[in-house]
Amino acid sequence: MGNKMNLPIMKLILWFFMLFTLSGCFGGREINDLEIVIGIGVDKNESAGNILLTAQIVKENETGGTGKDGGGEDKAFWNVNSTGNSIFEAVRQITHKTGNRLFISHNQAVIFGKDIASEGLEKYIDFFLRAHEMRPTALILIAEDRASDVMDAKPETKKFPAVNIEKLVESYAFTSHLYKVNMKDFASCMMSDTKAPMAPLVSVMQDKENKDIYVSGLAVFKKGRMVGKLNEDEVRGLLWVLGKVKSGVITVSSPNEQGSAVLEILSAKSKVTPELKDKRIVMHIKIKEESSLSEQTTTENLATDSAFERMQKASAEIIRQEILAAFDKSKELNADIFGFGEMLHKKYGNEWKALKDNWDDLYPSVELKIDVESKIIKTDLLKKPAWQSEGGK
Amino acid sequence: MFRYIYRKIRCSLLKNIEKRMHQDALAGKNNSEPIFPDLKRNLEAIKGILHNSSDVTIHEFNFGHDRRFKGAVIFINSMADKGEINKNILEPLMYGALLLKKDADIDFTDIDCVRKNLIPITDSRKVTLFNDLIECLLAGSTILLIDGSKEALVINSGKRESRAIDEPVTEVVVRGPREGFNENVNVSIALIRRKIKDPDLCVEKMIIGDKSKTDVYIVYIKSVADPKLIEEVRRRLNRIKIDAILESGYIEQFIEDSSYSIFPTVSNSEKPDRVAAKILEGRAAILVDGTPFALIVPMLFIESFQSSEDYYSRPFHASIMRIVRFLSYIISILGPAIYVALTVFHQEMIPTQLLISIAEGREKVPFPAILEAFLMMFTFDILREAGVRLPKSVGQTIGIVGAIVLGQASVEAGLISPIMVIVVSATAIASFTVPAQTDSGTILRYIYLVLAGLAGGFGVIMGLLVTLFHMASLRSFGVPYLWPVVPFDFSSLKDVFIRMPLWKLKKRTKVIVYDGSDSYKRNPG
Amino acid sequence: MNIEKGKITGQQLLFLIAGFVQGSVLLIDFTVGITEHQTWMVILVGLAVSTPFFLSYVMLAKRFAGMNLVQINDMVYGRFLGKVVSLYYIFFFLLTLSFNIRDVGELYITFLMPDTPFVLLLVVFTATCAYAVSKGIEVLARVSHLFVFIGIFVIISTFPLLLDQMDFSNFLPFFELPFGKIFQGVHIVSSVPFGETVVFLAIMGSLNNTEHVIKRTYSGLLIGAATLLIVAVRNIAVLGKTQTIWTSMSFQSIRLIDIGTILTRLDFLVGIAQTVLIFLKCSLFFYALAVSLSQLFGLKSYLPLILPLAGIEVVIAATVFQSPVDHAMITQNAGIIYSIPLMFVIPLLSLLIAKIRGLPKFERGKGT
Repeated sequence: MGNKMNLPIMKLILWFFMLFTLSGCFGGREINDLEIVIGIGVDKNESAGNILLTAQIVKENETGGTGKDGGGEDKAFWNVNSTGNSIFEAVRQITHKTGNRLFISHNQAVIFGKDIASEGLEKYIDFFLRAHEMRPTALILIAEDRASDVMDAKPETKKFPAVNIEKLVESYAFTSHLYKVNMKDFASCMMSDTKAPMAPLVSVMQDKENKDIYVSGLAVFKKGRMVGKLNEDEVRGLLWVLGKVKSGVITVSSPNEQGSAVLEILSAKSKVTPELKDKRIVMHIKIKEESSLSEQTTTENLATDSAFERMQKASAEIIRQEILAAFDKSKELNADIFGFGEMLHKKYGNEWKALKDNWDDLYPSVELKIDVESKIIKTDLLKKPAWQSEGGK
Repeated sequence: MFRYIYRKIRCSLLKNIEKRMHQDALAGKNNSEPIFPDLKRNLEAIKGILHNSSDVTIHEFNFGHDRRFKGAVIFINSMADKGEINKNILEPLMYGALLLKKDADIDFTDIDCVRKNLIPITDSRKVTLFNDLIECLLAGSTILLIDGSKEALVINSGKRESRAIDEPVTEVVVRGPREGFNENVNVSIALIRRKIKDPDLCVEKMIIGDKSKTDVYIVYIKSVADPKLIEEVRRRLNRIKIDAILESGYIEQFIEDSSYSIFPTVSNSEKPDRVAAKILEGRAAILVDGTPFALIVPMLFIESFQSSEDYYSRPFHASIMRIVRFLSYIISILGPAIYVALTVFHQEMIPTQLLISIAEGREKVPFPAILEAFLMMFTFDILREAGVRLPKSVGQTIGIVGAIVLGQASVEAGLISPIMVIVVSATAIASFTVPAQTDSGTILRYIYLVLAGLAGGFGVIMGLLVTLFHMASLRSFGVPYLWPVVPFDFSSLKDVFIRMPLWKLKKRTKVIVYDGSDSYKRNPG
Repeated sequence: MNIEKGKITGQQLLFLIAGFVQGSVLLIDFTVGITEHQTWMVILVGLAVSTPFFLSYVMLAKRFAGMNLVQINDMVYGRFLGKVVSLYYIFFFLLTLSFNIRDVGELYITFLMPDTPFVLLLVVFTATCAYAVSKGIEVLARVSHLFVFIGIFVIISTFPLLLDQMDFSNFLPFFELPFGKIFQGVHIVSSVPFGETVVFLAIMGSLNNTEHVIKRTYSGLLIGAATLLIVAVRNIAVLGKTQTIWTSMSFQSIRLIDIGTILTRLDFLVGIAQTVLIFLKCSLFFYALAVSLSQLFGLKSYLPLILPLAGIEVVIAATVFQSPVDHAMITQNAGIIYSIPLMFVIPLLSLLIAKIRGLPKFERGKGT
């Protein structure tokens, strides 16, 4: 069939080319026309406009090769500020300073200042969900003070502060003292009737001239407004219940009360069963944890069954305390950070309809029944501590 | 409707042209006259037809008892083997005839008699028309004319210079026979005969080309090939009307299914083992005198990815090499296009770190990405084309200059970004892994690049779809081009992307073999 | 007799139907706004509901083997009424095709290439469709299985990549939504992906033999429905509550894939698969449209109609809706109404009438 359509095909091809070339540019942007944004900070602005937007943009070196950071103050990024009444307006205002539109597909983290968080995030978060360049995997963080300060802190290891922050958040698994929250999770919590959204806290610590970024703790929101925060232990208590503890350190005092034994958490599982009995809400929490003996400061040999048992009991008690601490804090803030409401919803669909409107009142009356099972499964390289054994044990 | 009218007009015009050509052919050379019995007249006529060319030698002699009979030997000086003529034609006639008894029962004016009793040459035949006589003379044979006979004897005593059987330059293998075809088609057919000693191997001769009268042979196995296919091949070859066939490529362009497609539907090869393998599968080979490249019909797209070496090495390695070839073909046509589409339209798809590196590399380049890619690819094509025609002495130097100048210096000068160099070089090298598709690959590469530059990923997808549909509708002598992938045949996929061990490849390619035969057995090549 | 000289086999028909149903993957997003986490249930019920109607199409094609939609209508309803019914079908094909083309344009404009002029996308897409249709149904059928493989591959490979982000308790409150919403959801699902297979009435006339046609076509439908189900399950599990806010669930789920540093940002892959599947769908519609229209006018071949139809389609697609919101509203509400008779009522009626009148009767020489 192809042989006969020679002439019409030529005409068609010609027409196509005309169409293409005469329609102008089609959304192609050369790489060097992009302003690649890797971090965004939102603060409240006192003067003109409501919002101070800080965008961290990548600066490309002209030396045609990476790894030549050079001496002096050769930064690979620059922070641009702009103000506006809404986020999108501020984003476009930045073009007055950069000359090109921002490219936020590669944004690693969005940091909100404390003032914005206290006022209520629901006014500001819409842009980050709606913009088609934004990805739902971007992290969301709250700054202890101002987001622009956080953006300025130059890191030692990575080239960009925002990438550094992202790396710090990803490393939550090592201590389980904070939790990674991305845009989709945050939006999901915001859409829920009862669950309280959370976001990790980031702060800047001044250490002589260096500014270091420190990520720890979680900010707790109620319906978009920040109402409080959880410190490290409380965060871990929360994570125990959610089953998201991956690793961490538990310090128990040794059985002979002369020192301490340090346990490294290897894995932890949790199972939460809600129960609704005569208008009483009881949550059965069962935690199974495995750890290893990583360090001890006494000379006693702890690698014995009895010592293990005592240490296991002690660590179980610590876990229990952490969970209770988290729960107490949440009761104090009256924010359902564990998602108990949602769990009830999923199990007791019909009854939930009546309960959900009064959840704020019901939440403090929730009872917890915690059952922790903690096991020590190895002692790393030493069988006995490296001391002279006095009459051996 | 307009197309209908247009077609009707074209048809009638073509018929007129054909009629005229036919009449010309008949009228022009009125050589279909019989040979005169008078020797002198014959010689005059021959000299006249050949315009007294200086390399036509006519040797008149007398023979027989009492030198009664007159004869003449005519040959082209450079093409005949004179030793042969002297020893086996003139000697027996001039001397040997004298040894016979005077009343021996031999009629010297009867060519047949002479041939059977006196001329000790195996390859000879009789002709009666001038046409045939001149043809054979020009083909290098020796003509024996005897006064008083209306027939002439054509003796194929020519020696012919040809290249030694050598390794073919274009198809080099690591393992496998290193013989290649020759310009002498008889040698080529001999090579095939040595591989297939089956009585069903048919060799049909045709002469194509008005002025070149090239020998063209169709070679196939009668019990395996589809008679309809052979019929079609014959039909298409007969249709060719051209002055000269200088190379098999001419024939290819006349008999192929779709001249406007960029994909070849007739494959060619220089190696007898490859051609023999394909003949055994039921295909037909066309050998043309004067060129070592034999044509094979029909052709499937996947054949471009199969090399004969695959079958001589073991299955695992062969399968991996096949997969490598497929992937490199894809890289070679889509490489620059994907690069341009990603960096210009879809930067969100590139990981952040890589994007920053690319951006740094492109900082100094003044051109937009598509122009840069175009320039690089064009330069590479220039290099390749020039490399073919380089005299050997400067070959190495130009290679180094090309690499250094175009690669290093352009990057340093800020004309090209380093990643573009990598992409285009990888593309170019990948394009050499599939030699049968280099021409289609080159064109496709440019098309996809332009589409990517104009419409990004969307353009590339549409281009791919159009190509796919085009290939899917293409047929090579009735066989779908993309078989067995597109008209899906699962059992025949054993030899497409991977190569299953030989003892599993029992059946021949179903589509090509004659349906009714029982040849679904035994290994193909 | 038939305009189309090519023939397709039963297996090719299987893949055609599977690819066609898979092409509606993005259209499921309309339902999710209404049925949230019970979409998988709605798909299953929709499949069950549309099965008898689908079987009626196949039986009709089997009965009138080798005959086109228009020819069938002519035979069953008589000359005049038959032509009216055929015109109704043609109108339906025309509109639905332009909606689908517009869908592709919106997909690109919203997600992948936002600055491209809309009309250009439509024109290029329609032109490629027209080229594919001009090659004939045989080529389309041959190539269909490739598309189906691509679709299945992409969809099945994204499932394990998202496993660690899936939360299967998102399905949990079963049966939470009121019955009215479920009914609306079932209605949409049975008419948009499954009911649109009525277009195959115009294509099954090219089958070369109708022996196992019921088994084959139904398997095709099941494959397509299984794909839809997997996609719906994946989206619900990954996105949970946030499903209802995004414009396109599939894209957002894919954007969440983040494994190592390599397997990130795969949304264009899904975009490719979607484009290709919708391309198949549009080509089938286009083909049915061209063939039916040319049969109606008694033309010898459908080729000359392709270009003008393409032009009309582009114009309609570019101008019919104002925005995706408009599109969603109209297809959810009005689209269902005018397509009910076509998909559910008329084929059953035709089958009934054919049975009663004992059609087809080839001796009468009607409609051959």
